Amino acid sequence: MKKSWVVVVNVFIIIIMLTFVVLYSNNENRDKTQKQIEHFENTAIAMEHVTENYMEGEQRICDVWAHYINSQDMTIEEAASFIRISHVLPNASAHILYLDTLSGLSTKARQDAADNFAVSYARMELLNDVSWIHEIGVSINISRAYTNPINGEQSLAFCNLITLHDPETGTARDAVLLRVLPISELEQKWVFPQEEFENAELSLIDADGNYIIKGHSFKNSSFFEFYKSYNTIDPASVQAFFREITSSSGSFVMNNSHGEECILAYAPVAATDGWTLLCYLPKKDLSVNSENWLLIGFVSAGLLILFVFDLTVMLSYNKKLKAAASEAASANRAKTDFLSTMSHDIRTPMNAIIGLTTIAEKNLGDMEAVGENLRKITLASNHLLTLINDILDISKVESGKLSLSPQTFSIVETVENLINLSRPMIKEKNIEFNFRVSRMEKEYLYADRLRLNQIYINILSNALKYTEPGGRVSVDMREEESQKPGCVRLTYIVSDSGIGMSPEYMATMYEAFSRQTDSRVNSIQGTGLGLAITKQMVDLMEGTIDCQSEQGKGTTFSIILDLPVADRQREDMMLDPMEVLIVDNDAILLETAVDTLESLGVTADSATGGLEALGMIKRKHETGQDYSVVILDWKMPDIDGIETIRRIRAETDSDIPVLLISAYDWSDIEDVAKEAGANGFVSKPLFRSTLYDKINELLGREAKSVEPEDDYSDLQGLNILIAEDNDINWEIISAMLGMFGITTERAENGRICVEKINRAAEGSYALIFMDIQMPEMNGLDATRRIRALDDPWAASIPIIAMTADAFSENVNECLNAGMNGHIAKPIDIKLVIKEIRRIKEGKRS
Amino acid sequence: MKKTLCIFLAFCMALSLTACGGVTQHETAGFKPALDTSTSCRITVAGSYDNFEALEAEFDRFNEIYPNVEFSYVKLDDYNNTLGTVLEGNNPPNIFFSYTWMIGNEKYNPVVAHMENLSDSSLGLDLSCIRPGLINRDAEGHVLLVPVFSRTYGMLVNNDLFKKEGLSIPSTLTELLSVCEAFRNKGYRSPMMGYSLKSSGCFMNTVAYPLFVAALAENPEALTLANDLDPAAGEYMRPALEAVELLIQNGCIDFSECDKIEDNYTQVILRFFEGDVPMMICTGDTVSGTKKRESQSEAFVHAPFDYVFSPIPMSDDGGYFIDSPSIQFSVNNKCEDLDMTNEFMRFLISTEELNEMASVKRLVTPTADLSFDSVYAPFGQVPSDRTLSPEVLGIKDQLTVQLRIAAFRVGKGEITLDEAAAMYGSFE
Repeated sequence: MKKSWVVVVNVFIIIIMLTFVVLYSNNENRDKTQKQIEHFENTAIAMEHVTENYMEGEQRICDVWAHYINSQDMTIEEAASFIRISHVLPNASAHILYLDTLSGLSTKARQDAADNFAVSYARMELLNDVSWIHEIGVSINISRAYTNPINGEQSLAFCNLITLHDPETGTARDAVLLRVLPISELEQKWVFPQEEFENAELSLIDADGNYIIKGHSFKNSSFFEFYKSYNTIDPASVQAFFREITSSSGSFVMNNSHGEECILAYAPVAATDGWTLLCYLPKKDLSVNSENWLLIGFVSAGLLILFVFDLTVMLSYNKKLKAAASEAASANRAKTDFLSTMSHDIRTPMNAIIGLTTIAEKNLGDMEAVGENLRKITLASNHLLTLINDILDISKVESGKLSLSPQTFSIVETVENLINLSRPMIKEKNIEFNFRVSRMEKEYLYADRLRLNQIYINILSNALKYTEPGGRVSVDMREEESQKPGCVRLTYIVSDSGIGMSPEYMATMYEAFSRQTDSRVNSIQGTGLGLAITKQMVDLMEGTIDCQSEQGKGTTFSIILDLPVADRQREDMMLDPMEVLIVDNDAILLETAVDTLESLGVTADSATGGLEALGMIKRKHETGQDYSVVILDWKMPDIDGIETIRRIRAETDSDIPVLLISAYDWSDIEDVAKEAGANGFVSKPLFRSTLYDKINELLGREAKSVEPEDDYSDLQGLNILIAEDNDINWEIISAMLGMFGITTERAENGRICVEKINRAAEGSYALIFMDIQMPEMNGLDATRRIRALDDPWAASIPIIAMTADAFSENVNECLNAGMNGHIAKPIDIKLVIKEIRRIKEGKRS
Repeated sequence: MKKTLCIFLAFCMALSLTACGGVTQHETAGFKPALDTSTSCRITVAGSYDNFEALEAEFDRFNEIYPNVEFSYVKLDDYNNTLGTVLEGNNPPNIFFSYTWMIGNEKYNPVVAHMENLSDSSLGLDLSCIRPGLINRDAEGHVLLVPVFSRTYGMLVNNDLFKKEGLSIPSTLTELLSVCEAFRNKGYRSPMMGYSLKSSGCFMNTVAYPLFVAALAENPEALTLANDLDPAAGEYMRPALEAVELLIQNGCIDFSECDKIEDNYTQVILRFFEGDVPMMICTGDTVSGTKKRESQSEAFVHAPFDYVFSPIPMSDDGGYFIDSPSIQFSVNNKCEDLDMTNEFMRFLISTEELNEMASVKRLVTPTADLSFDSVYAPFGQVPSDRTLSPEVLGIKDQLTVQLRIAAFRVGKGEITLDEAAAMYGSFE
């Protein structure tokens, strides 16, 4: 759904809800208003009852007076005296008037003359017609409001017709008795009783609409005039409307003089001649609009806030979803790219393997061709394995599962291994290679050797890969003090004269599967994972990696790592005092080597070429004090190391021990060098321990520990049980071990393995190679069963995992199950032999 | 999208704001309240009118400024006789109707004693907005009464009927007689009508009074005689009484038709609204009832017509504009809340409020601006030399009684002109 539609639907819902609230609220208001009006009407009726009772009471007093006066045949003076005596209300008075003259006596004197009780209504129209005054006791005879001629107050009068004795004529004379009550006093008592109707007003009108008593908001002299003045009414229905008001009870809405709506409740006053009680109330006093608006306002604000909140959240979610969709698309693209890359990168070596295998099969008779094919197949296989390892590593890196497994290791061995691994390519591409070390005092470090090795190899192999044949690659490694306690700072700098990198590529070079787009690069095998893995590993080891590169000129990678120093170090390496000459055209190497030699307690001289060295040796020889040892670089610009040895031997007739340094595999020159007079070989870089060992070995001070690298007699006769469900894998391992004189037996799964061990006599098997994923019973369960056997020999037999599950967690799983080691497939037979020997010698890793 | 949202938000805000809305009190333009507008008090106006919607409308307008002032208008029975008693009573009014004739009348001295001097500059009343001829000052220059309406004498003219019959509204006596004859010839039995049952409010006085005032204005010595009710002044009534006779004798007025009109106010108006009376002789007080009764007359509702109130052209120079106060207000100087009472008077005595009240009441405004009500517009066109102010001239009320009765009786044929002139001063 489009965003605009969501907004439209929301607005529509809000409008519907508000409409409902308004309608419902209005309906409630109407009901409430109606109830209040009914209540108001009922109150008006109650007021009418009160009014009627009051009037009846007042009229009754008047009736009593009239009865008495009539019964006593009183004169007007006597009647006035009687009333004065019986009167109790201070503000009330009575007027007795002869009907023929409408003049008579008041019970109270005029204000301006204390002895003047005369009163006249002759100029008033009030009593011109007395037909509304009924017989005594018949009805309430109340006048309209009028001006009391005695005191000027607006008053009401309850009336009765009486008969007086006229002393002048001696006859009876008709008169009217008025019980006069001031309206102001009445108004103070006659108020609307309900507190909730505080603005209610009362009026009393006669049958013609004239006010008897007039409330403040009532206008005109007649209510009917008032109504017509401010309200529209059909002239034809006006009389009927007014008749209804004066004859029944009810209420209606009308406009007051301000044009505001008001409620008018009416109730006819019984026992009067068409009088009606009117109760007035501004409609706004009934209104509950303010509450409604509050409700509507609250709901509006709530809905609006909800709407804005939802809209904001929705937009936020949309933004996140868009980002997630973008990431998903990007991930999908990455996956596609990855699969495409993998497909290409895997197919390439696979193509080589399959193709070369086919070629080898066709040329089985040509051993040289087969050998060459097998060599190439091995290269392709190794590349494939590297690719798979890299993929697994980057997978672990990206999933955050890459962890370090620190152990004590020799940095010297690591560097040697590094050089050994690099040597074939250096040789193949005829690369000028230099590996210089400086002040490497701490040989043993405590770190993840494999990962460190991987970092160094990745950087160095990249330098070698991307350097043109005949180019130059140099490695500098130096040890410095570290800020971290217990650590040394190891700086590893690899510089090459290779193709370099573009700034654009450098910006993304640490991302997985990123390879520089270059025709030269495309011809070089690579996964595009190496730098990504390296960067992650450096970060994991809390180190830094830096790169300076210029296209066409070369690249320099610098890796700085703070590595803990192992507790175990070699004992103090000090040589006997002697003089040593070291010869190399590399000034830096010379400087560091001299420094290293002197740290071993010898006096070191240096020469930058063979001829210079020869001169120095001659001069030394002539003094009768030959150098104790001469260390010569093989490749030097003037005369190489071998030629220099040859001249030393020829020209000085000296048997000075000479060590030949080479950064390369010296096996190629071993025979020539020995023939020339070389006493030994030493590989770059010249570690302190290396020099110490080599010099001692050369001078015969310490027996060289000979590794039985090519002597496998110790393995002869070993019998190993191999739990492997896969026939080919069984065949491979069986054949490989057979080459070393090792016999093997197969268990097709874990269960069979357990059974065989259980049945075997003690010593039947030297160890077990255990596959993990097997049918019926896997290797882990089988190991647990074996470890649980009663036979101590069987229960303690060494078990080595041999599995394609190569992750560290798999290794841990194996060890936790009771295994003694782990070898990852594809197997490296050298590692297998090494592991067998380790087991055989009773070592435990 | 954003625009729609903004509009919706604005709508909702406006909707919400209506919930917070309240009644805004506003001041009447031009009037600056001098007292605390929250003052609470009660002001009563006593008068002789049965109802006084125009004044009640002013109460409402004043309440817009002083919402807590409670007003009431009280009609006093037998006003002239009870006023003094009321002023001395328990609930004396703050303001009361007053008349020029009360000044100097010994009987009303107690009433006059209650009248505040409204020309006192400290009260701030703008008396200049009232036509000078309507202001009555005593010997000390005090103004004890201020007119809120003025009264004049004339006739209601049915303009549409004149148009219908192709006749022009007369502006001279000759034209009047001619028009009456023309109407009579067209079947109108009484082209001019008026109330004729009693002397009070009778048309004869309405016709005669302006002429008598004009005669007295020209003869100051006669005015003295007339005010003194000296029979010698009777001769000065003669032209006025002759004019009455002239209209009757020329058939302008048919008594048999006029006598059907039962009172000099509502019935006069309703008869005029029947639509067949070209000219209805009456005073401005009667005209005041026309506006309200337009809707009460079925004939007028069904066939409304245009009408004006015009001077009766009883000479060849036209008619007279007798500019006389109708209702005057006096402030009870002994009343409660005198400050607020004077504040109300200050509010009321202004061109705007007096015109507003005159408009509602449809009486002649006492202000200089007569043009705001088209009905009275013809009086605004009367030249100043024909505008006469009885109060300025010094005409006393007893004089008017003599003329009214004389005119009534002459018109009715009860006495002759000579008898009337001889009887001056003796009419009661």
